[in-house]
Amino acid sequence: MMTLSAYLPTWPLLVSPALWLALALVIAVLVGEGLVRYLRLPRIVGYVGIGLLLGSAGLNLIPELPAAEWRLLVDLALGILLFELGSKVNLRWLKANPWIAGTSLLEAAATFSAVFGLLLWFDIAQVTAAVVATIAIATSPAIVVRTVTESHARGQVTERLLLMTALNCIYAIICHKLAVAFMHGEAGTGLIHTVLQPLYLIGGSALLGWLFGIAFNSIHRNLGRHEETFSFLLFGMIAIATIVASTLKLSPMLILLAAGLIVRYQRQRPRAFLPHFGSAGAVLVVLMFTANGLAANLDGLRDSMLLVLLLILVRTLAKLSSVLVLARFSGISLQQALTLGIALVPMSSLTLLLTLDTAAAFPAFSSGLGLVLMSCIVILELAGPILVQMALRGAGETLEEET
Amino acid sequence: MSLMPFAASRPLSIGVELELQLLDCNDYDLISSAPDMLRRIARQTHHGEIKPEMTRSMIEINTSVQYEYASLVEELRSLRNTVADAGRFLNIAVAGGGTHPFQHWSEQKIFDAPRFHYLSDLYGYLAKQFTIFGQHVHIGCPTPDEALYLLHMLSRYVPHFIALSASSPFVQGHDTGFASARLNSVFSFPLSGRAPFVLRWEGFERFFSKMTGTGVVESMKDFYWDIRPKPEFGTIEVRVCDTPLTVEIAAAIACYIQAMARYIMEERPGEPQEDDYLVYTFNRFQACRFGLEGVFIDPRTHEQRSLREDIADMLLRIADHATELQAGEAMAQIRQILATGNGASWLRQTYAHEHNLSDVVQQQAKLWMND
Repeated sequence: MMTLSAYLPTWPLLVSPALWLALALVIAVLVGEGLVRYLRLPRIVGYVGIGLLLGSAGLNLIPELPAAEWRLLVDLALGILLFELGSKVNLRWLKANPWIAGTSLLEAAATFSAVFGLLLWFDIAQVTAAVVATIAIATSPAIVVRTVTESHARGQVTERLLLMTALNCIYAIICHKLAVAFMHGEAGTGLIHTVLQPLYLIGGSALLGWLFGIAFNSIHRNLGRHEETFSFLLFGMIAIATIVASTLKLSPMLILLAAGLIVRYQRQRPRAFLPHFGSAGAVLVVLMFTANGLAANLDGLRDSMLLVLLLILVRTLAKLSSVLVLARFSGISLQQALTLGIALVPMSSLTLLLTLDTAAAFPAFSSGLGLVLMSCIVILELAGPILVQMALRGAGETLEEET
Repeated sequence: MSLMPFAASRPLSIGVELELQLLDCNDYDLISSAPDMLRRIARQTHHGEIKPEMTRSMIEINTSVQYEYASLVEELRSLRNTVADAGRFLNIAVAGGGTHPFQHWSEQKIFDAPRFHYLSDLYGYLAKQFTIFGQHVHIGCPTPDEALYLLHMLSRYVPHFIALSASSPFVQGHDTGFASARLNSVFSFPLSGRAPFVLRWEGFERFFSKMTGTGVVESMKDFYWDIRPKPEFGTIEVRVCDTPLTVEIAAAIACYIQAMARYIMEERPGEPQEDDYLVYTFNRFQACRFGLEGVFIDPRTHEQRSLREDIADMLLRIADHATELQAGEAMAQIRQILATGNGASWLRQTYAHEHNLSDVVQQQAKLWMND
């Protein structure tokens, strides 16, 4: 005999956790649109902000995503954004204007030194300080690409921002691995691993990135004109590259960034892609920001607020002053340099992944400096898009700007 | 305000102004980078002058006063190298051509200078649509009356200059069917067209003071005529040419005009008549629309022929003058254009090959920057 429970849900309702994420996504997108329309703020602020508000760091209304699913999402979305970043950047420019390469190296070195110095002053062990300092080098590729796309920015500051972000992400990923390897060395796993691991990482990532770039170019040559088919293929390729990279214990981030750079370098052709390679990519990007907000951890701010704020301050000053010092030589005005320096400040997914990778290898890190970094990330993920948008507006490079 | 007195200048001296397009190296759309380019260029010593233009995606190069093709082309090449080097340093491409094939006029930003803001307020969207790129050629005249004589005699040949330099077939992403679509943008300005039929400078001064009296104009700059006198330089300025795709072609066209001016001044082939202008707009339209294939109606004989034939005929008539001016190489270039086509046909061929306007602009920039 049929009972009510056969076709009516039982109480309490059993809901898949994915529903909460979907709900957060809908609210985040609506809030994002509201921010653009009424406050002229970037949409990402809404995506991250709603995640933060509803997640465990805020009102705790929505449970966190399971770590594995969250990681897959961030890997894919960040992969798309890194490949997009690489394909927007012209490496040949560095040859024509070596001052940009100089500015980029100075900016990275200054950031590392400033953060390293600050942490030593706070009595942090040298190796740990070095690991954190390498992570601090990176500017958020996700926020930069997303905000540049959204504000239709073009011009010297925009192009330098994209180029310097791509470069400092590369430095950060490689130096981070080196620093972690040193940490291993100190933990006593032997010199051979300290040398081999980064070599394997850099060589393997470069090789895979190159293969990806070649595959991409041949697909684009044959199918590039069918824009939709092409976007789907590309999206699948990014997923494959991400998964293969994880399997081989390489850095998916480095591979996709390198692949984008190689694609742009090999054929000096102008190429127009849809933002984030179509709407599937765009959905992932929105989801990633919301999920980042949900996963936000502000414990570090409670325990060591001074360190968090000082870290943000010295990192910002290091980036800003380096860009200002070489502005004249590299061919931009001081005002442009000021805006560029500010736009380099955001931190987000890439930094977060590096932090989590470190924590996975060294559990002590996750309860100590890891928390400090997480708080920096939350702050700079919320403020970052606003800073980039302000900077690009200040440089007069957004489309909405009218004189 | 009265008209400036006509400065004396060496007869047949020439000066060339070229308006150039600044391009984003990623998508080859126009980019508002004139302030960056000018800041970079200001730090270097260079020939001639490099100046801002109406919108921030344009830049203008001016030669000094020149007399011969060889030195003119040398100065233009040096100016080109200065601009191209600054472009490479800033990751900005620079190209010739009369229009940008797919730019959107509403995205252009007005260069921050009082005159450009004034014009932008006055002309509204026309000012932004004026993101077009022309070549202006100055010809030195010994006296103002001689300048007016030369101006009206040269008017017959305006279609030659249009057809030879035409390099603006694409506008807003489409093939317009015109060889020079750029001039269609010029014609929408209220004070465009031809100079009034006045052959004495006193008469021209009277015309000018009557016009300023109406409040319609303030200076000669407000007239967008095809050829206009430039009293402060002692020149007349031919303004109908598109910026060609290379500086070499620009120099050759300037020298073609110079040789023709010498022919007119030395041989004085008749006096200009008001009725010469009866066919003026028809001939000019034919040149804009069809380029070298356009029909040309002789204002005196009413005979019809193609512009290509009329130019070939003219080349024979001015051959001695060109030799006197050491412009043999320039005339060879003009013959080359008659044989292989103008910039518009190069752009169309490139598009037929590339199927993509961004790629066309990239090739166009490569050609101009001499990469």
